[in-house]
Amino acid sequence: MSIAWKEIKKNKMRFFILGSIIFLVSLLTFIISGLANGLSQDNAALIKDLPSGQFYINNDAEDNYNLSRIDHSVQEQVLNEHKNAAALSIQMGFLNDESDKQRSVAFVASTDSKLFESVAPGEIVLDRSLEKDGVKVGDTLTLKPFNEPLVVKDFVDQKKFSHAPVAFLKMEDYKQMYRTEEMQLLFIPGAYETLNFKELQSFSNKEFLNTIPSYSAEQMSLNMIVWFLIVISGMLFGIFFYMMNVQKIGLYGILKAIGVKTGDLFKMMWTQMLCITIISLTLSVGFSQLFKEIAPKDMPYHLTNETTLQLSIVFLVIGFIGATLSGLQIKKVEPLQAIQQGEV
Amino acid sequence: MEIFKIAELRKTFKNGDVKEEVLKGVNLTLKEGEITALVGPSGSGKSTLLTIAAGLQPASDGNILFNGHNLTSMTSEEMRSIRAKKFGFVFQFAHLVPFLTVREQLSLMLDVSEVRMKNEKREQEIDYILDCVGLSHRKHAYPSSLSGGEKQRVAIARAVIHKPKVLFADEPTASLDTKKSKEIMSLIQDLTKTLNITTLMVTHDEDMLSFVDHVVKMSDGLVV
Repeated sequence: MSIAWKEIKKNKMRFFILGSIIFLVSLLTFIISGLANGLSQDNAALIKDLPSGQFYINNDAEDNYNLSRIDHSVQEQVLNEHKNAAALSIQMGFLNDESDKQRSVAFVASTDSKLFESVAPGEIVLDRSLEKDGVKVGDTLTLKPFNEPLVVKDFVDQKKFSHAPVAFLKMEDYKQMYRTEEMQLLFIPGAYETLNFKELQSFSNKEFLNTIPSYSAEQMSLNMIVWFLIVISGMLFGIFFYMMNVQKIGLYGILKAIGVKTGDLFKMMWTQMLCITIISLTLSVGFSQLFKEIAPKDMPYHLTNETTLQLSIVFLVIGFIGATLSGLQIKKVEPLQAIQQGEV
Repeated sequence: MEIFKIAELRKTFKNGDVKEEVLKGVNLTLKEGEITALVGPSGSGKSTLLTIAAGLQPASDGNILFNGHNLTSMTSEEMRSIRAKKFGFVFQFAHLVPFLTVREQLSLMLDVSEVRMKNEKREQEIDYILDCVGLSHRKHAYPSSLSGGEKQRVAIARAVIHKPKVLFADEPTASLDTKKSKEIMSLIQDLTKTLNITTLMVTHDEDMLSFVDHVVKMSDGLVV
């Protein structure tokens, strides 16, 4: 530890450069991860914030909940058997405010359930993003093209679906507006194993998210960037420590000649890797949190502590692997060869 | 008293199909506290003999007995431990750790040799040895700020701080001028006598032989 830290102190610029690169790469990774999560929340907070469970749609719907129509008798049977289950429908649509300004929303109607907002007939509960757009409690909005007036009862946080704010409707209003008697989905929270309902196919929360148009394509692209950045940082560690180790072959040889254990030389390298990574990660975590504050309000940015911790651990592991692979040459260093090479 | 005994030591280097025997059955005995110099023309096998004796490369055949232990049959870890605790090294160049101060170089050697002592005692030892090599005033200097002679003095201090049984010196004055060479040799002589360290050194410089107890001449891989 001591000798490792002394080398860092004496060669500040060299380690500062490595630390800066790790800081910048990890900061970029945190920010992109925050944006990926933000977009994911913006796309599907309604589903992501539900407890783990199973979604069921009609077998004939071909993995598309929009085409699903749950038979009323099946719905009743499931709701009777599972008291915390809910039947719901999600429809993209438009609401016009009093000045006839049109707003895209995702209408959500469900049977009585703690999982979804309960509303009275003729009322709606909206995602708070609409409040920021000037909609107020008590406003009367009109559902086009049915021209049904709906009074805003309240706003709720973080309820988005397919990048649109959610509007919770009374189920009866929904049925009347869309002229349907059937709901599209059944959701049973806590059902980790697929329950065998004839005519229904099941999806976990994660599987259901992938049925949302563009969700998986969007997330895959962003996650690929995040993982590329992580791999690049691992390679940077490998290359940097390789270059540094090549320069220190003579020194390692002399240290081995006077009796320093090879394991101690590895410990020295690992300590330096840990010091640099921890300092760089601490700074980039701080800056990524600061970015949350200074980012434009319209930018979907959502970086959780869990994601930050997971990415930090991945960075440490990848840094360790990169440094260790490049350090394998330490094992091969012959003391005699180093002595014969001349002054370190 | 015999402390180091080399018997029928052979070393063959292979270069493709060509074999070259550099040591052809060398016999040598070192006595405790004495300085022995290996001299001879280039290619006579002096440095090869020194590095094999110091456990820095293996012998092809023969035995090296140190305090009754056969070094040629030891594992690399056992040999490392012997090098760390019982041997000291001075090379042609000082080979100091560039990012450690003079004090830290010596402290590192005490750590490597697993010498256990209280911090106060450790500092006393370091101060004592720095006083012996005349570098007390350079205790906190880094190698980059030291002259060639000062670096070599630090290397000598590092080689003896843990009070090894044997000091191996491979042309320790080759990179210095005559005046500094004599100072360094005088220093090695004083320290090894004071600390009762047996020394085996290789030198080309006949002026340095006045500082040693025995001169062993080598030619064509044999002691003559």
